[in-house]
Amino acid sequence: MTSGLDPAVLYPDERAVPTPVLRARRRLSLTRRHEARLAYALLLPALLVILGLVAYPFVSAVYLSLQNKPVGAPGRFVGLANYAELFRDEVFFQTVRNTIVYTAVGVSLKFVLGLTMALILDQERRFNNVFRMLLFVPWAVPVVIAALNWRWIFDDLSGFLNNFLITVGLTRDIISWLADPRLAMGCVIAVVVWQGTPFYTMTFLAGLQAIPRELYEAAEIDGASVVRQFVHITVPRLRTIFLTTVMLSTIWTATNLQFVLILTRGGPANRTEIFPHLAYVTALGARRLGMGAAVSLAFFPLLVILIILLTRRMLSQTDD
Amino acid sequence: MPRTTSGTRLLFRWIGNGLLLVMLVWTLVPFYWMMATSLKADQEIYGFEATLVPHHPTLAAYVRLFQQTPFMKYVRNSTIIAVSTTAVSLVFGCLGAYALARLRFRGRRLIARGLVFTYLVPPSLLFIPLFAMMSALSLVDTHQGLILAYLGFTVPFCTWLLMGYFRSVPLELEEAALVDGCTRLGALIRVVLPMSLPALAVVAFFSFTQAWNEFLYANVFVNSVEVRTITTGLTLFIVEDVFFWGPMMGAAFLSALPPLVVYLVFQRWVVKGLTLGAVKG
Repeated sequence: MTSGLDPAVLYPDERAVPTPVLRARRRLSLTRRHEARLAYALLLPALLVILGLVAYPFVSAVYLSLQNKPVGAPGRFVGLANYAELFRDEVFFQTVRNTIVYTAVGVSLKFVLGLTMALILDQERRFNNVFRMLLFVPWAVPVVIAALNWRWIFDDLSGFLNNFLITVGLTRDIISWLADPRLAMGCVIAVVVWQGTPFYTMTFLAGLQAIPRELYEAAEIDGASVVRQFVHITVPRLRTIFLTTVMLSTIWTATNLQFVLILTRGGPANRTEIFPHLAYVTALGARRLGMGAAVSLAFFPLLVILIILLTRRMLSQTDD
Repeated sequence: MPRTTSGTRLLFRWIGNGLLLVMLVWTLVPFYWMMATSLKADQEIYGFEATLVPHHPTLAAYVRLFQQTPFMKYVRNSTIIAVSTTAVSLVFGCLGAYALARLRFRGRRLIARGLVFTYLVPPSLLFIPLFAMMSALSLVDTHQGLILAYLGFTVPFCTWLLMGYFRSVPLELEEAALVDGCTRLGALIRVVLPMSLPALAVVAFFSFTQAWNEFLYANVFVNSVEVRTITTGLTLFIVEDVFFWGPMMGAAFLSALPPLVVYLVFQRWVVKGLTLGAVKG
């Protein structure tokens, strides 16, 4: 059930079309030049959006990063001074490490949990669609709300977690979840995983349901165990989905600053500082726009590789 | 042999049920806490009296929310911005997608590539130059500025998704319309669009929720209460490190409803549409 959008079927080859239709088509279609002109006219709004709201800002980010520009004042060109300052900064390197840990652990956990959930929801069970709907809810609510809600759960004195642990008798001390340098990163990642797992479940489940049942039945008859079926049928069939989902999610996880902004503000002692948040604090907290742009661009080379790979994948799937 | 297989099947089934239960608890407890908090009086929220279940449920937090905070103003702003973003993205997306799916011209591949690439460039990279741009154009603190910023990610996605779907509409139907004297635009509106309703639903859902849920741009480009959206309005319940959790959780619950309702209504198509890129191939 791949949603019937296969371009190979749906965008029929010219040669396959019967000649009379083809002749009519040629007679009817505007001349090539007219067609191109119409195409550019139709694409104009979308192109303006791309150029004006993404391409131009991106180029101006590069230019900004070469300036010393406070908010609300004209900038002064300083060459690579911002980058030089950045690469001498201890916080910068800590941010690099944090971002890598944060993204790698977050994405791995989401992957494992998402796959587990997809496999479970793929089993036959009554009310499965109700469970599916409930499990997807974290993904549908705004990230800020999720983050605020969890901040309140983690609250030292009155939050749910401490309240609950003390009530059940698991601890007698108050635990400062978000202020403890050893716990803070783990807590932030937990929230990231809570919010992001449904996306994985959703894509993996769609992939699982596209696998023909006959493959499993045949394997069953051959006496293959459930584990072997998983390794030899399920995993190879889901490989492309795994890759695309992980790549998309890596970009989204690594660049989302809302969790850190609301839960810890990068603290305690920069333990949870990650790139997008550092850029935010530098540009708007310290009001150094140029330096802020340099921070976010310093992180871009890693991202751009992913973006290019992913663009190619996403297009090869819909392009003719 | 078959006996052991069905034995392991049964085992996996029960492991599955157990894990499902754990995941449901993990997923839903935060929502429980949100709602429970919004129904408590302050004594039950804070301090030693704090309770896990509201003993004396009250709507006081909601009353405070509606009477003493600009909550309704935020809702209005979010609605204006999300609805406008959705409408504009739909129109731009349909036009562009039709050209990419059906017309032949130079640069078609390049533009398609540009769209996907653009969609993947994260907002956290663009907000600083966009902020400088908005200030220069005096679009800071306006609905238009925020809508414009949102189009930067909704339009590329909508165009890309619709492009894939438009190709699935049989060419013959459109040719019949063209034979009957329809223009290209007429064919788009009368033939292609009615057949693409599921894709339009996905795209509308996506634009609306993205605009409604967005936080970073809304936080950076807007300062005044008159334009502030709900996601950034929520954080104003934190005053000097003091959190007003009751009204805030009430507001959080209420403002999560619109995207949630839209999701429940559209979910059949959404799951299909959003996974489209991942599932195929």
